[in-house]
Amino acid sequence: MQRFFSYKINFLSGAVVLVAMVWNIYNIFTNTPMVPDQHWAQKIFYIHVPVAWTGFLSYFIVMLAGILYLINKEQKWDRLGLAAAEIGTLFVTLVLITGPIWAKPIWGTWWTWEPRLTTTLILFLIYVGYFMLRSFGGHPERTSRYAAVLGIIAFIDVPIIFYSVRFWEEQFQSHPQVEITQQIPDIVIPFLVSLIIFTMLFSFMLRFRMHVLKIIDPRNRL
Amino acid sequence: MFWSLVRKDLLLELRTKEITISMLAFGLATILIYALAFSVSPAMYRSFAPGLFWVIILFASALGLHRMFVLEKEFDAFSLSISAPVDRGIIFLAKWISGTILLIISEIVIIPPFVVFMGLSLPNNWLIMIMIIIIGNLGIMAIGSLVSGLAMRAKMSEILLPILLFPLVSPLLIGSVKATNGWFQGIPFMNWQFWVLLMITFVVVFALLGYTIFDHITEE
Repeated sequence: MQRFFSYKINFLSGAVVLVAMVWNIYNIFTNTPMVPDQHWAQKIFYIHVPVAWTGFLSYFIVMLAGILYLINKEQKWDRLGLAAAEIGTLFVTLVLITGPIWAKPIWGTWWTWEPRLTTTLILFLIYVGYFMLRSFGGHPERTSRYAAVLGIIAFIDVPIIFYSVRFWEEQFQSHPQVEITQQIPDIVIPFLVSLIIFTMLFSFMLRFRMHVLKIIDPRNRL
Repeated sequence: MFWSLVRKDLLLELRTKEITISMLAFGLATILIYALAFSVSPAMYRSFAPGLFWVIILFASALGLHRMFVLEKEFDAFSLSISAPVDRGIIFLAKWISGTILLIISEIVIIPPFVVFMGLSLPNNWLIMIMIIIIGNLGIMAIGSLVSGLAMRAKMSEILLPILLFPLVSPLLIGSVKATNGWFQGIPFMNWQFWVLLMITFVVVFALLGYTIFDHITEE
């Protein structure tokens, strides 16, 4: 099998994502306005929210891939599910790191049981179980099937988790950020650009990882 | 077919009493540990009791579920029951219902010592609490049967089961504790009916999901 970067389109998209991401970070630090009461801490918002979005997007893809795998048992859906689960967990871990970094200066504490942060933590723990199931599963075909089922269960649980956590501790109902649509364009536009660039990064990582999974799959070594 | 599967699980348990006795012994041991670890004022017990109660139930059910599915693995019993010409969804429903019944039986014996040792005084309208317990048990067992089906054949299934079960069941746990607390503190039902609705949603969603997806778990 050919190397990932020997395909021109992959090399090109990789370069585009790299340049865009470097520019994005530069843009966040230099061209966005300072929010008066949050100062530098607010900058993490341009990273934290896109990262959270990509994390949840990849878990959604895990569910879709799971459904497709259960329907037609094609290896590529299993690889898509696993790749999305891995990348999703990486991004969700970043959410759990960047959230407290923001919360410390603004709320004065590293961790609060804020609904979205709590939902993310619960999802993260479910996916720790997902990878354990993947590695302890035994028979490869069965493991893929079980992982697909768990991916579906996990994503269906998300709205229920969110609503239960939201009404669980009333004091955390105050949302940390104002609605994005109420922000000034100077904030909204760099935010949306960052969101798009993170989504591009995600799709690039996903394709790269799927390629690698295809190479290392013993079933493809004939 | 459904009833004969439920009957099989209950009959097996009636003869050995393994699952209920182990859940009961585990429950009592946990109550003892609670009593010793939190040697605080009775007022504190009152506010903690609903949470402590559901933690015991959750741990005991993880234990019971594991035992139930280990029994299925012994002598490859599960392969035999899925080779029968029966909808696998029915197998799930049977496991779900028989698990719930076993859990309720264990609770009947866990609750009195829990109330006595914690020195709790309970409100009178028992019917609501029985309803909460039944819905809670149905929820734990719905997701529990699904997850045990996944973990059953894996290595280290005894640790994999709670790792998968606890985060997945967390919304139900929050709902059960909130509802129990509402009942226990004598808050009007109107103020905590949300939690009961949430629990019912959880039960319906995972019972339906289990029924449709169990096919893929049992496939050989």
